[in-house]
Amino acid sequence: MSEEKVILVTGVADYWGAQVASRLIAQADAQPDLGLHIMGLDIEAPKDEIKGLDFIPADIRNPLLVNLLESEAVDTVCHLVFMESVRPNESAFDMNVMGTMKVLGACAEAGVRKVVLKSSLAVYGAQAANPAFLTEDHPLQGSRSYGNTRDLVEIEAFCNGFRRQVPEMILTILRFANIIGPKANTPMTRFLKQPMAPVLMGFDPLMQVIHEKDVVEALCYTILNDMPGVYNMAAEGILPLRKLMALAAKMPIPVFHLFAYWSIGFMSTTGLNNGQVVPVELDYLRYPVIADLAKMHDELGFTPHYTAEEALREFAGEQRVKRYMPESAAMTYDEERLRDTIERRRRARTLSPTEQVSLGEEENHD
Amino acid sequence: MIDQNTSTDPSAEGADQSQVNSQELVVRSKEAAQAAEASAPNEDELDSELEPASSEELSDEEMRQRLAEELDSLIERMHAINPDYAPPAYSPQRLVDLLDRNLGRFSPKTALAVLERLRSSISDDLFDPDTWKGIWYMLNYTIEYQADIVKRRLNGEYDTDEWGFDPEFLQITEPFLTFMYKTYWRTETTGMENVPEEGRALLVCNHSGQLPWDGAMLGTAIYNEHPTQRMVRNLYATWFTTLPFVSETLVKLGQVLADEDNGVRLLEQDQLVSVFPEGIKGVGKLFRERYKLARFGRGGFVQMALKTGAPMIPVSIVGAEETYISLAKAPLISKLIGFPFFPITPAWPWLGPLGFIPLPTKWFIDFGEPIPTDSYGPEAANNLVLVSQLTDQVRNLVQNMIYARLAQRKSVFFG
Repeated sequence: MSEEKVILVTGVADYWGAQVASRLIAQADAQPDLGLHIMGLDIEAPKDEIKGLDFIPADIRNPLLVNLLESEAVDTVCHLVFMESVRPNESAFDMNVMGTMKVLGACAEAGVRKVVLKSSLAVYGAQAANPAFLTEDHPLQGSRSYGNTRDLVEIEAFCNGFRRQVPEMILTILRFANIIGPKANTPMTRFLKQPMAPVLMGFDPLMQVIHEKDVVEALCYTILNDMPGVYNMAAEGILPLRKLMALAAKMPIPVFHLFAYWSIGFMSTTGLNNGQVVPVELDYLRYPVIADLAKMHDELGFTPHYTAEEALREFAGEQRVKRYMPESAAMTYDEERLRDTIERRRRARTLSPTEQVSLGEEENHD
Repeated sequence: MIDQNTSTDPSAEGADQSQVNSQELVVRSKEAAQAAEASAPNEDELDSELEPASSEELSDEEMRQRLAEELDSLIERMHAINPDYAPPAYSPQRLVDLLDRNLGRFSPKTALAVLERLRSSISDDLFDPDTWKGIWYMLNYTIEYQADIVKRRLNGEYDTDEWGFDPEFLQITEPFLTFMYKTYWRTETTGMENVPEEGRALLVCNHSGQLPWDGAMLGTAIYNEHPTQRMVRNLYATWFTTLPFVSETLVKLGQVLADEDNGVRLLEQDQLVSVFPEGIKGVGKLFRERYKLARFGRGGFVQMALKTGAPMIPVSIVGAEETYISLAKAPLISKLIGFPFFPITPAWPWLGPLGFIPLPTKWFIDFGEPIPTDSYGPEAANNLVLVSQLTDQVRNLVQNMIYARLAQRKSVFFG
């Protein structure tokens, strides 16, 4: 065996970290000649034990992180710790922004070769003047009043400077569209799962989505291949919000936009939990944030397996089955899902042979 | 021309033109139209088929029998090819349009025969149960078709392109736009031959009228009058994105936010793009400033054309300025509600929503000669001297086209 390649995934107790770590372990088992060694780091151990994971209980903000990275000779760090917050809040800021700064600093200090970060297209901000297709170099005008977006914009702004200071490090940032999937808990899935999904009357912005499995695939792809830079990531297909909701089998409740803004403002000043009512910020239901995917296709060479419609149909199917669970619904849903799976596999075969190794397909059988 | 021809068919002579009932015409003549559609490529066959029909001495009953059989076999044939086939939605207007479109494809003799047959079908058998049966079938088809549309839209089974253009939405709104174009504003369009049948081109228009009706009518003009029914991508101002319903409608009709990247991308896709370089300054013009072109932006549209080598076609729209009479602007209100301007017209805001109703002026849309830009090369987009020169040139052209049209126009409402 050649030299061992150590990959450290932070935040393995959370969904994304656990998924990426187990996907990488499966890859390491399937191809032992790669010599991958997967380490996981989080404050507490993952609830469902990940077999083969070298787990280290620690906080990312621990100053001894440098020593850990040095002594373990970590090659790649995939930093996935992220605390969700609706209103900007100090503890989330400390964990997300300060935490990322500390991790990146430690990586630079310890001579880590590569760092992979997960970001969101929301950093571009939903602006009335947005061009129809945002490229990676578009200025980041993400909302300052929405916790998640503010933290991501801060992290990206820091990374911009960091990239210049440490040019020898391979820094990959993937900006994902709204993540959809039966298991993931993201603002968009929360939006589609709530009993009543309010939309703004007279606005039907275009949207992009990406399937949760494709997110994990893409992260692993950039961990295993050296792809410096920032990339927009979204599934094929740009859908108007109403169509997206129709595919996800969700009835939109139109609300007059001035009233919606006013009531959200009222809720935040009175301390009511507005995150429950509108998990996606109102501006993002009003103006489109559509990314240009040319860089993802041409430079990164990654194509998501699910199209937007397939991802949404699968999501809707899971929701329906969860709700009723009669045999018939499950049967028709199975048929729907199998049809999409066949289509997806057929497409994957016709794609370039260089782009393969899709574990996502195997997972479909359970 | 056709009316002067004497028909040998006895039923035609008996037909009273004043009794023409469009519904009946429709039912009796749909077979003729469908037969014409189906056998369009083979004119000789149609010739031989139609000739005897109009000359032979057939009784009304036999004639209808034959036509009904023909129709049945046609539908059967369609079902054999495509089991899901359902005849398209039906309306008298569509039938007439269909005939209009297809008559030109036939030899004069055939066309005459078709028209003759149509005329002969206008007889007085309104009391015939078969007529009503036909109408009933038609209604059923239409209702089923429309119920299907509603169902598909609720299930999210409709397609939009990457810009959000929704062809079904256009299909729904098109009759209204055509009504505004043809009936309400009685638009006269000249110079349509200057708009290329394919390939990229940039239409440069004057802007006016408080609401972007001129953009809608420009699109409708090309949809109705251009031989290939091209779709126009209007680039609209950022302000419209912030307005409820307006933004949704614009996007679904395939309009795109005015942004240089968007324009270049559209032109590179070989689309027909239109710009209103005056922007908000043009829309919000006061009535006394009408037909005086405002500054043509910063020349971004010229850069778009230079980068993509697209020809610029100057377009003047006359008549839109008088649709709303903006007497003054209320800057305080506009600042309060965040609008770029707030017009005060005799009807707005005093009469509420009634203030949105435009005046039925007479419109003229003139397309000028294209200005080629491909000789400069894409680097010329950075040549600011050239850009400003071309901007002024196009602006003067459009202004002169407006003056030329105004000189001919005798009345605002009657042209």
